[in-house]
Amino acid sequence: MLKNGTHRITLRPVQTELTAPAGTALRDLLFAQGVEFPCGGQGRCRGCRVHVLEGATAINDAQRERLTADELAQGWRLACQCALEDDLVIELRQWDAAILVDETPFAFTPRPGLGVAVDVGTTTLVAQLLDLSTGRVQAVRTALNAQARFGADVMSRVQFGVPSAGAQQLGDMIRRQIGSLIEQLVFSAHIAESEIVDVVLVGNTVMHHLFCGLDVEPLSRYPFESEHLGLQSLDAADLGWKLSPRARVRFLPCLGGFVGSDILAGILATNLGEREDLNGLVDLGTNGEIVMGNRQRLLCASTAAGPAFEGARISMGMRASTGTISEVKVEDRTVHCRVLGNVPPQGLCGSGLVDAVAAGLELGRIQSSGRFNNGAASWELAAPVILTQSDIRELQLAKGAIAAGIRMLLARLGARPENLKKLYLAGAFGNYINRASAQRIGLINFPAEKVEAAGNTALLGAKLALFCPEGEDGSFLQLRQRTEHVALNADQGFQDTFVEEMAFPETGTGC
Amino acid sequence: MTLFEELQQAIIDGKAPVSKELTEKMLKDGIRPGEFFPKAIIPAMDEVGRRMRECEFFIPEVLIAARAARASSDILRPLLVGDEAITSAGTVVCGTVKGDLHDIGKNIVAMMLESAGFKIVDLGVDVSPDKVVEAVRQHQANLVALSALLTTTMVNMKSVVEALTAAGLRDKVKIMVGGAPVTDAWAHSIGADGYGKDAPAAVELARQLATA
Repeated sequence: MLKNGTHRITLRPVQTELTAPAGTALRDLLFAQGVEFPCGGQGRCRGCRVHVLEGATAINDAQRERLTADELAQGWRLACQCALEDDLVIELRQWDAAILVDETPFAFTPRPGLGVAVDVGTTTLVAQLLDLSTGRVQAVRTALNAQARFGADVMSRVQFGVPSAGAQQLGDMIRRQIGSLIEQLVFSAHIAESEIVDVVLVGNTVMHHLFCGLDVEPLSRYPFESEHLGLQSLDAADLGWKLSPRARVRFLPCLGGFVGSDILAGILATNLGEREDLNGLVDLGTNGEIVMGNRQRLLCASTAAGPAFEGARISMGMRASTGTISEVKVEDRTVHCRVLGNVPPQGLCGSGLVDAVAAGLELGRIQSSGRFNNGAASWELAAPVILTQSDIRELQLAKGAIAAGIRMLLARLGARPENLKKLYLAGAFGNYINRASAQRIGLINFPAEKVEAAGNTALLGAKLALFCPEGEDGSFLQLRQRTEHVALNADQGFQDTFVEEMAFPETGTGC
Repeated sequence: MTLFEELQQAIIDGKAPVSKELTEKMLKDGIRPGEFFPKAIIPAMDEVGRRMRECEFFIPEVLIAARAARASSDILRPLLVGDEAITSAGTVVCGTVKGDLHDIGKNIVAMMLESAGFKIVDLGVDVSPDKVVEAVRQHQANLVALSALLTTTMVNMKSVVEALTAAGLRDKVKIMVGGAPVTDAWAHSIGADGYGKDAPAAVELARQLATA
């Protein structure tokens, strides 16, 4: 407790610090910070649940009714039912609704001990504890990347990390945060830290560099090529982690440019490099990554799609959470919106945006140039949520970049779109996006049956790498050798293709 | 519709072959090359700028309109003689700064400036400060227009300002900057003369700076 009967509350991932008198309702404090209370703070829903990481909060009947015993034990509380009695560190759930874990079964060779696979995302972190003798997931922890308060996208992290003090700060932050996720895994699985023999981390090039303490300056400017893309073996003690000194900690190697080991892991997880047929893998995010190929040849590239898919720079955009329009459908020429959490709509997330524009095209409200018909400035989807002309423009930039990247890689392979057997969509957005809508707007120019949501392939690939025997190069190192990185930005034709792909297809026909 | 109006419409609609054909026909009819700019090309591109501002036109439409304008001006420029040739609004050295390869925005600005009567020296992308200094000297430019699309590369705009100062050319040129991460405050902080938030604003700014 601070002086004169006040407590301190730290909010994660936003990292806001507040002080308030003991006894203040959390609802009042958190509401002022933008946390929503779908049922009006009556304890009748789970919408305002928060994760109390440090500090004590009382549990009452309303919380016992809405939360499971497990959740309560892990520190989950209904914010509307709590008053301030202690200094608290709270993680806000409404920020991490879209974190994707992985529970895909996979083949492996058993080995003794426990392992940890970590997907180090720009936005989200996922850590899984595995029993290496059974392949079973023992525990999972997710969090928002604490670096996010220094910018949402990789370039803003690079910018912050160009002065070495900034890189040091970001590196310390992410190493500490993942260390604490591992401690939480150990705690919740009731195991000893010394049982962990192997930790595999995957992430994009910027996450790799910041975590491993490598200079990010080469990633700040053309040609965006770092000399330190390789596999990094680290010492748990150097990282400040409480693991056995014998534990192996590896950050898997990057593929080139901004294409990191999360994509390498994705290739491993989807088995793209072992197949005779031509297949693709696309990770839709602010930095879109694309892989195309087969056992003969694999190409990868990244393309800056901007933040539209994450709802940023969209007038009523928000991350998928309570009150978000996540789906838009047209039935009998009428628009139907699905709102998360059964509350009045408040905004639009990436999947809702893609759906809304597809619906607008279908209804003839939006022209293939992206312009609203009749010079309208906006379109009300479900009051008060509107789609504006500039929202459509933002989406055109994002989808143009991805579609152009896919086209360029196919062309480099000398392949035609119809030669592609399957396109896997990695990551959270790929999981929620409506494939027919993605095709309608020309983001993914393939029919829905060729497109498959592949889930968190980064995490699955990291788990597969846990089973690579020590001392052997492992399939991921060979894969890395074989995968060619294509620098799209340096390709003369890219800008033209990008501009061409900004328009929407006249009709929804693909190949 | 007069022929000038027809040409304007062809440019706005992005019809390069029509624009080229009309220009040739009008020249044959005896219209002086210098008349095309004030009566067709400049007003057409001003209209394109207006539509872009009002979100009616987006990058593809602006680019094809600029291409249509160029189809006309490419025929006209070599024909401009005497007074007409030097009525150019000014000479602009433009480019995307060192470390940055984004060229769409820079190209749009360059084409719109060209259509507005400026002579353009486009240095392309990933342009070093030295190259800008050299081009300003060689072409006796009175404007420098710099683009950056990355927060990590916009700092290189400052290097260009510094290089021009060091070369003793700072009072000979006005410097304007633009690009998604750039702001008015940034322009001031690095000692540039102005910031254009979009291509039409850049044209307006260039006109002001050229006559200041």
